[in-house]
Amino acid sequence: MISEEQQDQAALYVLGLLEPHEAAAFESELNANAELRDIAREFREAAAAMALTAPPQMPPASLKQRIMREIAIKTEDRTVVPLHRPSLGWVPWAIAAGLAVFCGLLAVDRVRLERQLADIRAVDPLMQTTFYTLAPSAPAPADAKATVAWQPGRQSGVIRISNLPAPQSGKDYQLWAVDAEHKDPISAGVVRVDKNGVAQIRFTPVEKAEHVKAFAISLEREGGVPKKEGPILLVGSA
Amino acid sequence: MAEDTTQQIADREMLLQVSHGDQSAFSELYDRLSGPLYSLAWKMLGDALDAQDALQEVFVQIWSRAKTYDPEKSSVFSWAVLLTRSRAIDRLRARDRRLRVVAGSTADETKFAEVTNASTVESAADTVHKNDEAAHVRSLLNNLPSEQRQAIDLAFFGHLTHHEIASRLGQPLGTIKARIRRGLLKLREQIRT
Repeated sequence: MISEEQQDQAALYVLGLLEPHEAAAFESELNANAELRDIAREFREAAAAMALTAPPQMPPASLKQRIMREIAIKTEDRTVVPLHRPSLGWVPWAIAAGLAVFCGLLAVDRVRLERQLADIRAVDPLMQTTFYTLAPSAPAPADAKATVAWQPGRQSGVIRISNLPAPQSGKDYQLWAVDAEHKDPISAGVVRVDKNGVAQIRFTPVEKAEHVKAFAISLEREGGVPKKEGPILLVGSA
Repeated sequence: MAEDTTQQIADREMLLQVSHGDQSAFSELYDRLSGPLYSLAWKMLGDALDAQDALQEVFVQIWSRAKTYDPEKSSVFSWAVLLTRSRAIDRLRARDRRLRVVAGSTADETKFAEVTNASTVESAADTVHKNDEAAHVRSLLNNLPSEQRQAIDLAFFGHLTHHEIASRLGQPLGTIKARIRRGLLKLREQIRT
């Protein structure tokens, strides 16, 4: 019979809420108690079902390609044929041959590593991301702030805003990319905050922006404007 | 132990093939699991790029650790869900550390979750077909008393400890433990039927 206390522990265990020493003690108990193992398994299934309550999203098709490429590289690594040890009579020749093979493997390995590095650079967003911190300027509240993660290669970014109250009726906030090669700021779209003054939005500027010096948010007419008109509320560089 | 469903058996077969290096089985398993795992990662992380990176880590882990999967402990789906949750929690912790260093952000996880929920990003949910299983679980969850649902939700998605949940909800620790236990028990019973 499983006590309520054991059930409590099992529930916390499957949710990863036990302290390390508590988890270790519980695992010892699990090893010795089949009924407890069954409860833990069923709790695990119930907890995992929670994942199905997340709003459904589908990953982009490119992600599967990235992953398949990565496991293909891992498979290549697994299938490298080990070198055979030569018999003692062939030691000098074997050493020479081994060195030759080793040099060959090093060369192959270098090419492979360079390819992996190129792949990582191609797929790792962090290696291609520049962060901009936007600070408030009057009339924005002093605690308003925003952070932009910008990927020039993809020409897209994500902005996270906090403490910026919703604008008055008939107005909208608009995001701008200040690019060194453009005379005027480039519109990156209208940004709508929720009632708590926060937003997290993915954006793409309307024109190519390859040398972004700063991002800014201004107060504009509802729906946004093609060219900045209103006051800047938040601005910041990388 | 409850009997395995046909889907669970099929998943196990696929994972067995994956453990033998079968890339087409891996591709099939990806097609089956990536939607719910990505949805989970997105909900926890609130960021599509972060969710994609987490999902990549999870599937690479599934590929390299397929042999360590223990069917006695969980179904393949639950194993993959808990791997995803764990990767997402790692990322949230790393993000917290980064924010503390870089921006001194004051946003906590709950606030972040609220931001995510309130996000004005167009949801891909509109374009995704209704998932019967998901709808079924959601209806089961709706049958739980709200305080039990809330406690499980905070523990599972909010990566809050039971101590933090108790403090957040202003309830004694024992009450929170009991709510999580009772909620999981009820969910378990409902899933069984």
